[in-house]
Amino acid sequence: MSTDSRGYWREEFSLIALLLLFFIAIVALSYHIPFDARLFPLLIGSAGILLTLGISVEQVRRRGARDGSIPRNEEHVVSVDWPRYATALLSAPIFGLLFWLFGFIIASFAAMLLIPTLMGYANRRRLLVTAVITVAVLAVIAPYLLNVELPQGVVGDWLIDKLALRAG
Amino acid sequence: MLDHLILGLTAVLHLKQFMFMIAGTVIGLWVGVLPGLGGPVAMAILIPFTFSMDPLSALLMLASISVGAAFGGSVTSILLNIPGEASSAATAYDGYPMAQQGKAKVAMGLSAGASLAAAIVGVMILMFASGPVAKAALAFSPAEYFALAILGLTVVSVAALGSTVKGLAMGALGLALSLIGIDSILGAERYTFGFVYLLDGISFVPVMVGLFAITELISMILEGGTIAKAGKLEGSLWDGFRDTFRYPFTLIQSTAVGAFLGMIPGIGATAANFLAYSVAQRSSKHPERFGKGAPEGIIAPEASNNSCIPTSLIPALTLGIPGGATSAILLVAVTLQGLRPGPMLFTSNPELIWGFFMGLLIGAVMATILYLIMIPWFALITIVRIELMAPMLLIVTLFGAYANERNMMDVFVAIFFGLFGYFLRRHGYPLISLVIGLILGKLAEGSFHQALMISDHDYAVFILRPLSAGIFALCLVLVLWPGVKRRLGLGGAEVT
Repeated sequence: MSTDSRGYWREEFSLIALLLLFFIAIVALSYHIPFDARLFPLLIGSAGILLTLGISVEQVRRRGARDGSIPRNEEHVVSVDWPRYATALLSAPIFGLLFWLFGFIIASFAAMLLIPTLMGYANRRRLLVTAVITVAVLAVIAPYLLNVELPQGVVGDWLIDKLALRAG
Repeated sequence: MLDHLILGLTAVLHLKQFMFMIAGTVIGLWVGVLPGLGGPVAMAILIPFTFSMDPLSALLMLASISVGAAFGGSVTSILLNIPGEASSAATAYDGYPMAQQGKAKVAMGLSAGASLAAAIVGVMILMFASGPVAKAALAFSPAEYFALAILGLTVVSVAALGSTVKGLAMGALGLALSLIGIDSILGAERYTFGFVYLLDGISFVPVMVGLFAITELISMILEGGTIAKAGKLEGSLWDGFRDTFRYPFTLIQSTAVGAFLGMIPGIGATAANFLAYSVAQRSSKHPERFGKGAPEGIIAPEASNNSCIPTSLIPALTLGIPGGATSAILLVAVTLQGLRPGPMLFTSNPELIWGFFMGLLIGAVMATILYLIMIPWFALITIVRIELMAPMLLIVTLFGAYANERNMMDVFVAIFFGLFGYFLRRHGYPLISLVIGLILGKLAEGSFHQALMISDHDYAVFILRPLSAGIFALCLVLVLWPGVKRRLGLGGAEVT
């Protein structure tokens, strides 16, 4: 069994454990809820526990039958270098964090410039033009056509208050 | 009847009404393409603008948005594997593999053909069957609604690629997530842990954005290159449009599934989309082609969601019971115009009702024409480098999650479900079962409690009513059938 397949099965059983914990929590935390409101959660939670146990049995058997190798359709994602893997997994959380802290415009601009660079995109000029156009279009569309005010972020709001820039 | 049709045609054949329909369709196509911002959101945003319009213009514009969004939702499903609309999610199963083969234009031609044919049939059914069918739908008691919700979940879980147990577990997870928030029966808080955000439950939009858009984005970044693997486009739009009618059985069957489910309040186009896909896969002579770019895999979901939208207006207009979000918003618009939905609307305002029906018919043709004009431009997305497209998609999808409720928490929820969904998908858990569980959760629990209340807490109510018992028996057969088939040696290799 290769290190990759060991990692795959570790991940598989971690997911099963997570699901099992979730369903156990659904049942356990329903204890304080009135009976009528608890009935459905109890049913769903119990069904979830049984199904998760069913999955674990199925996976143990599959693992044994395949001598620990990774199932055919699920192995393609394993062989990727770690910088690409980190970019893929962390792009969204970091964008979310920047969105919350510095607002939509700055977060979008950072994402437009950083993600392609981390993925190895070399044409800097095209990248800059695309980033400016994308962010500008969204900055116009959101408030004027969709009536969605773009948030300035926690830091942005703090700065606006500090510098007394807020209208009214 | 002919008098009514002429009356409706006279009412709708005005430049003003056409302008409102074109505006609505373009807005619909556009919001349909944006993941997270669906037709109902755009309709809700534009409702205040309809106050000053005459009732027919207001209804036509809002209905055109919904028709346009149903068409537009398939664009990103096919091109990016990211459904613009929840009701187009199953289209991605075969639409995206086709786009990967460089046949994005063919896939969108198939989608346009199926959508047009089904929308026309749906409107016809709306015109001719409103009265009798609405009465039949009233025969469904809460026990049947509960059974139908479970059937929807079972069909999707069993038909999804991968293990059935995993599919059912994902369905249970979706149902469990729908429990979060204030309980609709007693008003008790469940699993909120004091967070105000969770009182209303987990919003469906950020979950969908996370599970479909973010997970796909992660895969795209990992794979790189372009969506069309060869970097070029093959086939034409008209090939696809023509091919739609080479599968008349799938087209008719899926249109019927969508039209029937549309008439049942609460089921909606999303469930119809998946059920039609599953039914088409099960009845196909080549089920193994599904998920790999089968034309029937695009025709089935597109036909069902487009026939579902008009028929969902049947209970809304005749009984005042909305069939889904779209018809609920249209009901609000009708009420805001000082009109009362119900059987009297047909006799007191025949010009409005029949004008609206004829407008829906013309709107479907209009949406198809606009869609076909825009497709060549949409298809170019598949040959753009992922390095440039990934950040754009990230920004637009998370903006969609935020814009729904203007809540930052929705962005974090979308990101969480995106990461979680990526690992689930990687290990063969069908995400769609989770989404269907979340959608049907409230309906299932509400019907479950209502059935128990009506029967004085007699649990046998679910099996004593013949219709409900029949639906549950069907669920059981669906779950057990793959195992029985294997034991009897009737084929059906395990799909992993």
